[in-house]
Amino acid sequence: MPKRIYKARMNVSVMSLADLQRSFCDALRSPNAPPDTLLDELLDDGLALQRFNVYRNNFIVLNGDALSEMYPVIKRLVGDSAFRLLASAYVRKYPPMERALLVYGKDFPEFLASIPELSTLHYLKDVARLEYAWTVAYHAEDVERLEEHQITALPAEHFELLHLRPHPSMYLLHSEYPVYRIWEVNQSEDSEEVISLDDGPTHLVIIRPGARVETRVVSIGAFTLLQKLGSGETIGDAYIAATRIDPVFNLERFFAQHLFDGTFCSLTEN
Amino acid sequence: MQEALTTHSSVSAPVPPRAGAGLKSQHYQTIIDQQPDIGWFEVHPENYMGKGGPPLRYLERIRRDYPLSLHSVGTSLGSYLPLDQNHLKNLKQLVDRFEPGLVSEHLSWSHGYEWYTHDLMPLVYTEETLQLIVDHINQVQETLQRQILIENPSSYLQFKKSEIPEQIFYVEAAKRSGAGLLLDINNVFVSCRNHGWSIEEYLDAVPAELVGEIHLAGHSIQDLEGQSLRIDDHGSTVCPEVWELYRNYVEAYGAAPTLIEWDSNIPQFTELYREVRFAEAYLQSAHECIRDVIS
Repeated sequence: MPKRIYKARMNVSVMSLADLQRSFCDALRSPNAPPDTLLDELLDDGLALQRFNVYRNNFIVLNGDALSEMYPVIKRLVGDSAFRLLASAYVRKYPPMERALLVYGKDFPEFLASIPELSTLHYLKDVARLEYAWTVAYHAEDVERLEEHQITALPAEHFELLHLRPHPSMYLLHSEYPVYRIWEVNQSEDSEEVISLDDGPTHLVIIRPGARVETRVVSIGAFTLLQKLGSGETIGDAYIAATRIDPVFNLERFFAQHLFDGTFCSLTEN
Repeated sequence: MQEALTTHSSVSAPVPPRAGAGLKSQHYQTIIDQQPDIGWFEVHPENYMGKGGPPLRYLERIRRDYPLSLHSVGTSLGSYLPLDQNHLKNLKQLVDRFEPGLVSEHLSWSHGYEWYTHDLMPLVYTEETLQLIVDHINQVQETLQRQILIENPSSYLQFKKSEIPEQIFYVEAAKRSGAGLLLDINNVFVSCRNHGWSIEEYLDAVPAELVGEIHLAGHSIQDLEGQSLRIDDHGSTVCPEVWELYRNYVEAYGAAPTLIEWDSNIPQFTELYREVRFAEAYLQSAHECIRDVIS
């Protein structure tokens, strides 16, 4: 008795190259067995399906590995086997749209939020946003930081009318949860620290002014100022918005610390 | 045009006929600190297509001390779809910036829709695909204004429609486009074993004078209902049979730049370096063989 009965296949292929490649791609993404129309195109030694599955498995695993490099903290939070399942589903739903895999996984935060089994872990989405922003900042454009001599060249009396441009790698992240602490203690495998979700909310600046990505916790005032400056508002307007939401925000102290530390890259009159 | 392209590769640091290593981010600092005696390094340009950041800085630093080869994985030469002009532009920018001694790409495809597989998919070996590949290689060479090398793939399945033996297709694609060959001896071994082809016939069909670079890598073995399938995962040391094929090849045809690829389960640098030294030893003895013949 043969173990399996193989369907007799026609020994002619009928697909055009374009149809064949599209059908191959559809089958790579599908969790189901490839259609007979595709299997009919493969030389069959009784193992054609298994041979095809090597490609499908590689597609899921290689792209899943790229996702796990992007989201190491999420992987630690949900565990390796759950992450593997999530990654497979994600790769199928959102295959890579870029030639380079440097920043694969843009939709992963939203994807995590859409999984019913994870619905009690409200903070996952924001931790994922932080991880994504970190890698985007890592590969962001290299831009010279603002230097003191660039300031002295401008008229001091109209400082509030000037535009201060944040470094292009900057990403602002607001969360209702203590995502910075969650992210920080999960940088190492062996952390036992317990974090209370009541320790939120968090305002974060993720930025790479030099060789290293920095993740800074800031006040809601500083956060608002950077948000407004980033959207092109003048220093004066951004400051008004910052003090409206955070009456104790101190611009002088903020600039003393951050004006020349790489947070900004240019100061211009328009 | 093809004449002009093949003579164009006057680069500031040609890749020498020595052993080189795939450059991994895990090893950047060790290489900068220890300046190991390695002939050259190779990278996937797609890993350096970010706007900025540490990877480009490290590559710039290492490029100062070593010749470089760019081994592309994203051009998708064998797709029915047109080449992505944006990707070619990014590749050209890296070629201009890093002045690599060699540039190469695979005989495969990775682009069937608007998304990318990020793995190298198998070709149907027909005259139609050959024409398509040759057109695509020509476009790449014209954009980069230089010759590229094309690499023989590793594969796990064959299409009924294929009518040209892989090695003939591979050599013909180079001859028609003026490209050179990147001969991956591990891929020859993997594909021949997976499909029951003759390794000897395969290698005999490859004209040594077209081979500008050799690749060596480790592979794994997967059991498919009692039949073993070789999986080209670049995750271990080069196997003894592949070393043997390599030794015979360089003894017969002389030295060519030889790369050790190690892309998964990345080891400590010392282990990668040991593989590079093995290849270097075979290349040295090939040099000596040739000296003996000449004297």
